[in-house]
Amino acid sequence: MAESAPQLSLAVGDRVVYPNQGVCRVFNVDSREVAGQTLTFVSMRREEDGAVVMVPTTKVSSIGLRKLATHDQVAKIFAFLRSDSDKADLDWKQRARTNIDRMTQGGILGLAEVVKGLQVLSELRPLPTKERELYDNARHLLVSEIAASLSISDCDAEDAIDLVLSPPGRERPKRTAEEFKQASASDEEGIELGADILSLGGDLELPSDEEAETEEAAEAAEADGEEEEAAGKGRRAKAGAEAKKASTSDGRAVARHSKSRRKGAAEGSKPKAEAKPRSAKLAAAHQDSKAKRKAGGAKLAKPSTRKKK
Amino acid sequence: MTLDDYDPKQIEKLCRALYTAFGVGCEQATRVPWPTGVGDPADARKLIEHVDSVRAYADDKILYLVHKRLKDRELPSGTAPTHGYSLYGKDRALVTTHGVKNLEEGLKRVTRHSMHQLGHLWDLYHCLDPRCSMYLPWTPSFASGDAIFCSFCRDKSEQKIRLAKS
Repeated sequence: MAESAPQLSLAVGDRVVYPNQGVCRVFNVDSREVAGQTLTFVSMRREEDGAVVMVPTTKVSSIGLRKLATHDQVAKIFAFLRSDSDKADLDWKQRARTNIDRMTQGGILGLAEVVKGLQVLSELRPLPTKERELYDNARHLLVSEIAASLSISDCDAEDAIDLVLSPPGRERPKRTAEEFKQASASDEEGIELGADILSLGGDLELPSDEEAETEEAAEAAEADGEEEEAAGKGRRAKAGAEAKKASTSDGRAVARHSKSRRKGAAEGSKPKAEAKPRSAKLAAAHQDSKAKRKAGGAKLAKPSTRKKK
Repeated sequence: MTLDDYDPKQIEKLCRALYTAFGVGCEQATRVPWPTGVGDPADARKLIEHVDSVRAYADDKILYLVHKRLKDRELPSGTAPTHGYSLYGKDRALVTTHGVKNLEEGLKRVTRHSMHQLGHLWDLYHCLDPRCSMYLPWTPSFASGDAIFCSFCRDKSEQKIRLAKS
């Protein structure tokens, strides 16, 4: 990108934007000898705090230095912020990479994309600390550039941005994960959702999975318990009644197994990383239920011995 | 600093609340006269530029309290309701108590707006947390919230205050 960008010609007094730093004003262009080489440096001062930056003219394009946004570009930014744009990626790693690229190489539109994307994501769930800092930084840079471009105060620039992001008189909407899933439905892998569930930001996904797991564990435990009860009854009762009971209980057990198998198939599309905790939980639930049933079976055995006597 | 009449006891309560929020001393300074040419409803930009200042240290922040309504601002993207105004990163902020009949009853709301504008002076930007005082002031739920900062905004303001003091 840096190679294809046209060489930026800078003169004293020009206002430029240094990626991730903000609006700077060029105050000097001169040649200096550095390590035996004569290089031309552009000296600029950051308008926010007066910090001085010197950049070799050969590096201007590669750094991503650009002229201040024009009024037309700012109008396009407002139109973009007003529109219902694509939802942010739920995979936090992909999202972080994309946002960093937007901040360094995306220009003013990149900043607007970061602000809008993270704001929309915050309507789904609170942002983690790092993304909150990124959002704050992007907002700061966007506000300062729009203020410099339109020659208005920072207060007016920020309010102008928020007028289109969150119009007055309305609360910000609350979004669902399904809206974001639809946006990423074109992706082939479903790993993004799984990775998101495993990430810190995936808190909303966990409770439903945990509830589903406990329900499955309970159902599997009931199925085991009923199998053992049926086997116990088969030993004690008459053959015909026992066979009927066994068959019905086995039938019930088979029905429950098929349910669990169907559920297992549905979950097969989910990433393998999730299978381990579920199977461990199920295994623990199995063991618990087996232990309980054995204890229960032993208790049941006593009345039969008493009856025999 | 006030441009209109307020009960000194209520202003004292407001100062105490702001001291609790920012951790730096807050006191009521003198009352100053209205500058000319700000109109009614008052133009917040003109008011904050032309109002009299008070002798203060370099890192002091001045909050002006007015009872008059502030004019909605015409911005490139639309018309913004104005509950206050501030010079970001500098030393002056303005808050209106218009719509609050009694400062005693509406103290929480006024404190929240004051914290919002003073937060801008300490380089805080609008927050995503609806409970935070840096949330958008024109949302319906803002006035009913508590006068607090979220942890992110609080940490950032404390950092800025520490840097200013050092």
